[in-house]
Amino acid sequence: MSNVPAIDRASRWKAIRSEVGRAAGALLIALGVAFVVVLLTSKTPFEALNVLLTQIPQRPRTIGLWLDDAAKLTITGLAFSLVFQARQFSMGVQGQVYVGAIAATYVALSPLGATWAGIPLGMTAGMMAGAVWGFIPGIAKAKLGANEIVSSLMLNYIAIELCNYLVRAQLPKPAVGVLTTNDFPETAVLPQLIKFDGLNITRLDYGFVIALVAVFVVWFALYRTSWGLKLRLVGHNARFAEYSGIKATFIMVSAMTAAGALGGLLGSMFVQGQGWGKLTVLFEGNLAFEGILVAIVARSRPLAVPVVALFYGYLRQGAQLMNIRTDVPAEVIGVVTAIIILLVSSSFSINFIKRLFKRGDAPATGTVPAGSAAK
Amino acid sequence: MALLEAIGIGKTYPGGVVANDGVNLVIQPGEVHAVVGENGAGKSTLMKILFGLEQPNAGTLLLDGKPVQFPGPRDAIDAGIGMVFQHFSLVPSFAVYENVVMGSEPKAGIRFDRRKAIGEVQALSEKFRLKVDPLPPVRSLPVGQQQRVEILKSLYRNARILILDEPTAVLAPQEVQELFIAIRSLVAQGKTVIFIAHKLPEVLEISDTITVMRQGKTVGQVKTSEVTEQSLAAMMVGREVSLRVDRKATDQSRRVAAVSGLRIVNARGTEVVAGLDLNVHSGEIVGLVGVEGNGQAETLEAIAGLRSIAAGDIRITERDAAGLSVLERRGLGLASIPEDRIAEGLATGASVGENLVATRLDDPRFVRNGLLDLKAIKANAVKLIEQFSIRVGGPASAVGTLSGGNMQKVVVARELAEQPKLLLVNQPTRGVDLGATQFIWRTITDARDAGAAVLLSSADLSELLALSDRLVVLYRGKIVAAFVNSPDLTPETLGTYMLGLSTQTAAEMQVALK
Amino acid sequence: MMDLFITVFSAAFFVTIIRTTTPLLLATMGGLVADLSGALNVALEGMMLVGCLTAVLVSVYAPWYVAVVSGMGAGATLGLLMAFFAYRMKADIILVGFAINILAAGGTVFALSMATGGDKGTSINLPSKAVPAVDLSFLSQIPVVGPTLTAFLSGHSVLSWIAAFVVFAVWYFLYRTPWGLWLRGVGEYPAAPEAAGIPVMKIRTWSLIVSGALAGMGGAQLAMFNYVGFTRDMTAGRGFIALGAVLLGARHPVGALCAALLFGAFEALAVVMPGLFSDAPAELIRSIPFVVTIAALVLFSIRAQRALALRGAK
Repeated sequence: MSNVPAIDRASRWKAIRSEVGRAAGALLIALGVAFVVVLLTSKTPFEALNVLLTQIPQRPRTIGLWLDDAAKLTITGLAFSLVFQARQFSMGVQGQVYVGAIAATYVALSPLGATWAGIPLGMTAGMMAGAVWGFIPGIAKAKLGANEIVSSLMLNYIAIELCNYLVRAQLPKPAVGVLTTNDFPETAVLPQLIKFDGLNITRLDYGFVIALVAVFVVWFALYRTSWGLKLRLVGHNARFAEYSGIKATFIMVSAMTAAGALGGLLGSMFVQGQGWGKLTVLFEGNLAFEGILVAIVARSRPLAVPVVALFYGYLRQGAQLMNIRTDVPAEVIGVVTAIIILLVSSSFSINFIKRLFKRGDAPATGTVPAGSAAK
Repeated sequence: MALLEAIGIGKTYPGGVVANDGVNLVIQPGEVHAVVGENGAGKSTLMKILFGLEQPNAGTLLLDGKPVQFPGPRDAIDAGIGMVFQHFSLVPSFAVYENVVMGSEPKAGIRFDRRKAIGEVQALSEKFRLKVDPLPPVRSLPVGQQQRVEILKSLYRNARILILDEPTAVLAPQEVQELFIAIRSLVAQGKTVIFIAHKLPEVLEISDTITVMRQGKTVGQVKTSEVTEQSLAAMMVGREVSLRVDRKATDQSRRVAAVSGLRIVNARGTEVVAGLDLNVHSGEIVGLVGVEGNGQAETLEAIAGLRSIAAGDIRITERDAAGLSVLERRGLGLASIPEDRIAEGLATGASVGENLVATRLDDPRFVRNGLLDLKAIKANAVKLIEQFSIRVGGPASAVGTLSGGNMQKVVVARELAEQPKLLLVNQPTRGVDLGATQFIWRTITDARDAGAAVLLSSADLSELLALSDRLVVLYRGKIVAAFVNSPDLTPETLGTYMLGLSTQTAAEMQVALK
Repeated sequence: MMDLFITVFSAAFFVTIIRTTTPLLLATMGGLVADLSGALNVALEGMMLVGCLTAVLVSVYAPWYVAVVSGMGAGATLGLLMAFFAYRMKADIILVGFAINILAAGGTVFALSMATGGDKGTSINLPSKAVPAVDLSFLSQIPVVGPTLTAFLSGHSVLSWIAAFVVFAVWYFLYRTPWGLWLRGVGEYPAAPEAAGIPVMKIRTWSLIVSGALAGMGGAQLAMFNYVGFTRDMTAGRGFIALGAVLLGARHPVGALCAALLFGAFEALAVVMPGLFSDAPAELIRSIPFVVTIAALVLFSIRAQRALALRGAK
């Protein structure tokens, strides 16, 4: 069978094409809806759209913001991808970000923070805290069958309140009444990535590199280790996994814990990054949940996550820019995000829409991805 | 005039399975009409068509002499046909009367008139001798009473014809008698009952007329009074050409699996295996014969380690298997081909290569220090694809894209690749085309020739007769007969024991029970 | 300590509890209806939020009751959207719910900005109206108990009284009408009502619509009585606490009412306590409902497991 590899490649290419087609279709529809909204509410709709779509690459500063956003979106996208690949619905990334940030803050503001160990220790502390926060819903589900959606959501709010409290009342702050901590020492903050004469991009820090490393690590773990294979098998068919002797419960818990570590890492990236350099309340701005979009559009594939994160980050920053320069608020991006999630997570495809409107009863099949596509 | 008639009904499922082929059924008013046949004979499909759950590809249905169609169950219900399935559709926490009247509740304005509902259910239950307390939640009732609730549901909606799908499959003997009393009372009050079964003694006891089906066709319709158990069994099981697969002489001296005193209780509390003793030796295929649901699947699951046992001893290669996990038993040389390849045997979203090593993730050839050796996995996949002639694009194709036969070949390839010592096989060729079937038979026999001990369970008698060295018949969780395979052994003989019509004595069994 | 006691058992505190509980209770009833039909409605938060904004914006131009109804309508619309994507388009209902939350969070700020001409934080510049309080001060005429009755019962929002009625109405619907039976059947074991010819999809869709309407009403109360006007993200997790209340209340209207009252009490405490104990952090008190929900989840799961084990051994 000498042409076996060629057929493999062909079918995989076909799968990628159909997935990209779906994502592109969803994006177009979402942008279309957003455009209608903008058209109806803005005095300068076309200029707004122009800013949204084309202005980001014009200046180093906006490029920096875009790439920084993309890096953060990548991490949360990876976290959700891990969890989705195991067919679990732990929604706790936001909480993991906050506890990770808290842990990193404690390290950064401690004597250790002023040494060379400030960054690595801070990140490690963040990852450990996030891992614990991810472990809790996991073990509750494994041992007690407790719904991980509810428990992870509750933990989100507990983490946020904890952060609010610590910032307000416990951590050292520059002045009374402000809701931030002291600035972290320079050794505890990720340095700028690109800073030479002529090209000074603030806000983009080594978090970008960390995101790339994380992509590689998650990809490697999922596709090159036996743990990853077990995780994917459990996600595909938990019964078959049991039958093969794989301990499904252990895999589920470890998936949620690993995702938690990623969330915690993101938290430390936030507070130890050029964007903040300290801990404040509500620093995350609901970015964690946008990881859902990234994960779904990327079909939970680690290598596709950064690509989607780049595209989505572009739109996100474009919306911010549009907000500054025109009269359209950035929040219109929420409409785009929601529509994309709704479309991509359903059996959306051109065929499906046609069938939906032909008969009253819609069959539950969309494009069946040939090749090794995971759901 | 016949009450209900099915003429020339044909039904082919997508995928090519011909479930019904020119099926005829004539139901007279006021009779108890049994429809019998083996698994796969097409009885369930026919009943689904009568109840509007499936649409026939060919043929007509006549009700009171007029042609009718049932696009959905609601239409069948409105026409006076009620069906009681094997798997009940009852809301567990609702009371009996709530389940019975749900959808057609008596109302007082917008209020659900519970008192009236209870009264009506009580009256119905007394009228038809289906004694059940209307108040308790359905989940607290034993299965026999739950079944009565299901029947009451149909009666509440004024069903004239009641279709009961294998009603005695879930009942204990006393409950069966109570059911029969109820059926007789239903008939006495003008109802007609269609009764699907394959337990012949019961069929002969309760029915007036019997229609026999086999392999999607009707074999014939007879009056119960004019037929004997033997002739009925013959009609059901048929005179098939027995194919036998060539096999080599093997050394069958080593006992590889030993089961003694096995008792298994299922989740509902029913005893499904009631004291089983069985030995399987190297180089032989032992066939587990029996109508589905008599304990074969549970026995295999227990040996594999997928099901806990209530009592008894299982030894694999003379080691006590109690407490050993699935993976540990596989380490002892156990391999198993499960009944439902899609639900239990494969991860359809994963690649062929991944599926082929899923059971061997502790093998240093494929996994070292937690890292996958992708080259070895791919090479393994390529080798097995070649060896088992699996028609697939490549080792990276998703298993879900394969045909049924090729999917099964993946399972077989994976399980046989390691020269297992003990091979458990359950329905190896169900839903598999002829070519793949022959191939899989050959593969299993080759494993046996190479010294594996094989325990084979199948609903296909011709498969069992083709492959087995010895056959053991299970009925209600016990071994009731054992045979050494020979050309003289016919499906009819096996059928007699499968259907509970007779039991061998211990002495007779000793010969074949090694 | 005595201060705390006196405060907690005062009529004023009772009135505060009713005020904090009302939006939560309405959202909880919405969550209950959806949950009993088999859908975990994680979009209560978003439905409530759009209810807040819609009520505020409409009240600028119309009477308060029209504003409340539009708040309900906005929530109901999101419920319909949710049903469409979850049931018709077969998307996972949790993902759909989160998408709706994202839509609501962004959409409300967007609309707010449009309406206030640029203010994305609050609607403080808009003349939005309030839901009137019900004045029962005539009760003080009653000898002996009069003044106490007035202190406890007078001054609540109209919607609080309506919320109490809603609890009764939901209970009656679920346990005294046939359609409530259908809904509960659909949530527990959909094969059974389906076999009886009951339109399962319609019931699920309507339950999400009602769920949205109730959450929307809760939002209207929040933005027209508890506070007057809209602030971004003003629901602050109440939609998720409502889910917790459904769980804690064992998925029964009366239990959910008690749970909502309990959580409302904690919210009221969080307001009062920092004044009394400067070292009791409001944030930790605000976290209590979430912690209690997790505890309830764990306890109920343990109980369910034990029940399953018992049945297996029978």
